[in-house]
Amino acid sequence: MINKKHIIAIDFILLVGSLLLVAGLVSYARPLIIAPIDDLVTTENSILFEFEKASLILIDDNPEFTSPQKINVENNLVINLQPGFYYWKIVGALPSEIREFTIKSEINLKLKKSDSGEDSYQIINAGNLDLDVDILQMGEITGNIILKVDEEKEVSGTEFIGGENEN
Amino acid sequence: MKTKSFIFFFLISIILISNVSALGITPGRTTFEFEPGKQETVHFNVINSEHKDVNLVVLIQGELNQSIAVSEVSFEMSASEEQKELSYTFTIPSDLSPGTHSSEIVVMQLPDKSSIGEAFIGAALGVATQINVLVPFPGKYAESSLNVIGPEADGKITFVMPILNRGKLDLVRVKGTIDIYGALNEKVTNLNTNEISVASRERGEIVSVWDTTEILPGTYRAVATIIYDEDVLTLEKQFNVGERLLDLQNIEVNEFSLGEIAKFEILVENKWGEAIVGAYAQMLVYNQENEVMADFKSATYDFPPLEKALMVAFWDTAGVKKGTYDSSIFLKYGQQSQQQELKLEVKNTEINVIGIGYVISNKSGGGTNNLTVILITAIVLLVLINLAWFFFLRKKVKNRIE
Repeated sequence: MINKKHIIAIDFILLVGSLLLVAGLVSYARPLIIAPIDDLVTTENSILFEFEKASLILIDDNPEFTSPQKINVENNLVINLQPGFYYWKIVGALPSEIREFTIKSEINLKLKKSDSGEDSYQIINAGNLDLDVDILQMGEITGNIILKVDEEKEVSGTEFIGGENEN
Repeated sequence: MKTKSFIFFFLISIILISNVSALGITPGRTTFEFEPGKQETVHFNVINSEHKDVNLVVLIQGELNQSIAVSEVSFEMSASEEQKELSYTFTIPSDLSPGTHSSEIVVMQLPDKSSIGEAFIGAALGVATQINVLVPFPGKYAESSLNVIGPEADGKITFVMPILNRGKLDLVRVKGTIDIYGALNEKVTNLNTNEISVASRERGEIVSVWDTTEILPGTYRAVATIIYDEDVLTLEKQFNVGERLLDLQNIEVNEFSLGEIAKFEILVENKWGEAIVGAYAQMLVYNQENEVMADFKSATYDFPPLEKALMVAFWDTAGVKKGTYDSSIFLKYGQQSQQQELKLEVKNTEINVIGIGYVISNKSGGGTNNLTVILITAIVLLVLINLAWFFFLRKKVKNRIE
């Protein structure tokens, strides 16, 4: 025979059970971020985003995501980004935690001897941002070129100095 | 044989060593807010990208050079050393005028030494890490840029203008208007942004969203006027709505006889809101060995905006046997080339073109949608069970006991 104790027991089971079930469902449905790890610092422009149970990546330079880059994607994806500091999260049935990563700017110049002349070279931007390269001949600036990432140009000079392009 | 190979690789190595040099530095730039007299120590890395033994010198250039001291002025890196950490100490001068002030630390790799003799060969390669100091302007001063994000899948374009307050005073009211102009410079629409306030040396964003679902594809120009308190800043940017696209809709071959010239009628639509001129079609037909057995082109055509046109290309089928051939069609215009794979079913009196039409995948996530449905259903079910128990069943059972 059901008595008051039984009713209280049912109350308890129903409430606690519901709460546990909701917590379990939420934790099951919450998107799972695998990569990149939080606070990643890299000089690679290509970032692999690896996750489960989500279909949208949001990337922004502020944690409020006021003007995010939105990428609809089902599976893992490599995204090319400019050097900078980024916040990102994924959105599925629920939003994920917010993670951060930094792409450090890297200036990298490569010089290859060219067959065209004694002081002729192929100069290559092997870094991850556009470069402003000063060309010098025996210490005097004789020219300046802008090299985009991975761009290669034939130049003539005795010294070459590359720095980040202002624009 | 082994000795010959060794000599060959040794010579190649010598050539490569003397012919390539590479050097890196990170970060490319460090920016400081103006705090007179403040001393900062910054670490940076020099990268020995070619993994060679190198001699390097460190130079300081620019207007702030008297305020910068580097940890090392010359050093060596061995081939096994991937990178080396250096540092500089920067004391921010107190007498800088408003604006941006720059200097750079240049790491120079001295030219390769010849392995024979002592003569220097090659060129010197240098990389620079920049130092910027932002000195605030007296009064109110804002900097901004116009970023155009999209169009998104729902046709919305977001205009984002980050507001950098480079003045000594707070900006109380910052808002903007954006005028959108079409290709003929006609005004298409006018948008307003949100209004924000930005404290001195802080950053804020004003944003406006434009729904382009009813807008013709094409090139547009946005002119943004940012009003911050009593000052105005104007920005401009060109952007595209839609894709500059020729859409291949159909290919037909009529009145064909094997061994004679086949006339391909290629129906193409210009999906772009502006004319596309000088477009042509090129078709490649492959034999069973996947070699190109025919390569033919149409004449050039001009496509008015959003209109269709029939391109014609001719294929001489003399010597061609009945069968199914792989084929590629390219629609070429400007720097663009669109490719589509086809199969040509060649018969005695007809050619059937197989493969026109695209399968466009549904990008909305089915998996996550299902998960959402499950989640919502389960929660609704739980709420219903709880409501049923607490407001109906519980009372009923209690009454029965009493």
